[in-house]
Amino acid sequence: MKYVDEYRDPALARSLAAEIASLVTPGEVVRVMEVCGGHTHAIYRHGLEELLPPEVELVHGPGCPVCVIPMGRVDDAIAIAETEGVTLATFGDMLRVPGGSGSLLQAQARGADVRMVYSPLDALELARREPDRHVCFFAIGFETTAPATAITLLRARAQELSNFSVFCNHVLIEPPLRAILETPGLRVDAFIGPGHVSSVIGSDAYRFIPEEYGRPVVVSAFEPIDLLQSIAMLLRQRIDGRCEVENQYTRVVRPEGNPRALAAIAETMEPREDFEWRGLGVLPASALRLREPFAAFDAERLFALPGARIEDPKACRCGEVLTGQIKPWECGVFGTACTPERPLGTCMVSSEGACAAYFSYGRLRRPREEAGVGA
Amino acid sequence: MTVGRETCSTCGDVALPGRVREVDGLEAVVEVEGQSERVGIDLVPDARPGDLLLCHAGIALERLEGDRG
Repeated sequence: MKYVDEYRDPALARSLAAEIASLVTPGEVVRVMEVCGGHTHAIYRHGLEELLPPEVELVHGPGCPVCVIPMGRVDDAIAIAETEGVTLATFGDMLRVPGGSGSLLQAQARGADVRMVYSPLDALELARREPDRHVCFFAIGFETTAPATAITLLRARAQELSNFSVFCNHVLIEPPLRAILETPGLRVDAFIGPGHVSSVIGSDAYRFIPEEYGRPVVVSAFEPIDLLQSIAMLLRQRIDGRCEVENQYTRVVRPEGNPRALAAIAETMEPREDFEWRGLGVLPASALRLREPFAAFDAERLFALPGARIEDPKACRCGEVLTGQIKPWECGVFGTACTPERPLGTCMVSSEGACAAYFSYGRLRRPREEAGVGA
Repeated sequence: MTVGRETCSTCGDVALPGRVREVDGLEAVVEVEGQSERVGIDLVPDARPGDLLLCHAGIALERLEGDRG
């Protein structure tokens, strides 16, 4: 398939791995954070860590939107779902995220009308087909997904639907990156920037990282060749003494992003004062809410929500995993009390979560890390 | 576990190229990894059959450069 097959060529992967090995200084470890959960998943799925020299250590970042949703917001969604006459629609992975009082899947088992959709447009179609019910879409995701919600809101207004709303939990990529960059004792030397978030916001959006924090960024696509090439580009910047934003994903990402998608977001949503992130705490201006002209579609105005702030389970160390301070297997409940079948923390829920990716694909790596190679 | 696909539909990882088969107003039928899907083309309203679109969460985010026809 065009745009896929040529980026999975094993011979090219081996050649890039050899190039990467030639770009490191023996014994000098470079820690590279892949921000996006999609990258984490691809790294494990394709076994890319095994191709890298011990001097390149990959650190998994906060870019899985399922993993950063705090438990209190899940409880709010459950409260909406349990309202008489309401259908709550959301993406499949959100159904299993544990809140303070169980998951949406458990609410469904108790009788709540919870449905899985692939797109907010599917939720809108449900509302159109079932005019006697109110359909609320539980919206999550970074700037990649916000345009789909924005388009849905614009269509809902154009269709004058009165039985549709959005529980908006869209988040922004810059604030958590700043929070990580300001973490005392930061153990990250370079960043692989998100690919599809960048297709919306543009690669220029990361210039603050080299300019204010002195770390290079390469915006990367998601195939094995892309990721290896991006790592080589980061290492080459170090050798050349450069520190800048480079774009490996030129077939999709432009420096200025996607003006139409940005305009749709700006028309329908605006930054919140602050938002709670799992593992990162409350970050200012880090999420979006619906603008006033879309108040009639705003679930936060239509429903009485508990709005509680719920502490993560004490044994769960998702926060430290999300900020790259520990590896998944260093958490005491990893693979025992917390598994993809029965997740305790959000990082184990989505296949893009670092813990789930590690559990499914990466356990062979652990003896190597425990032996101190690459540490 | 992610239902339906190997990856989570909220994640950029599933922004996949889809070839337009037919266009009906602001909806297009695209072929993504051998399967037909309907996507909103509000952001690429001039899309036409043969175009390759980057699709995510039920909408086309944009047309892949230089791949018309």
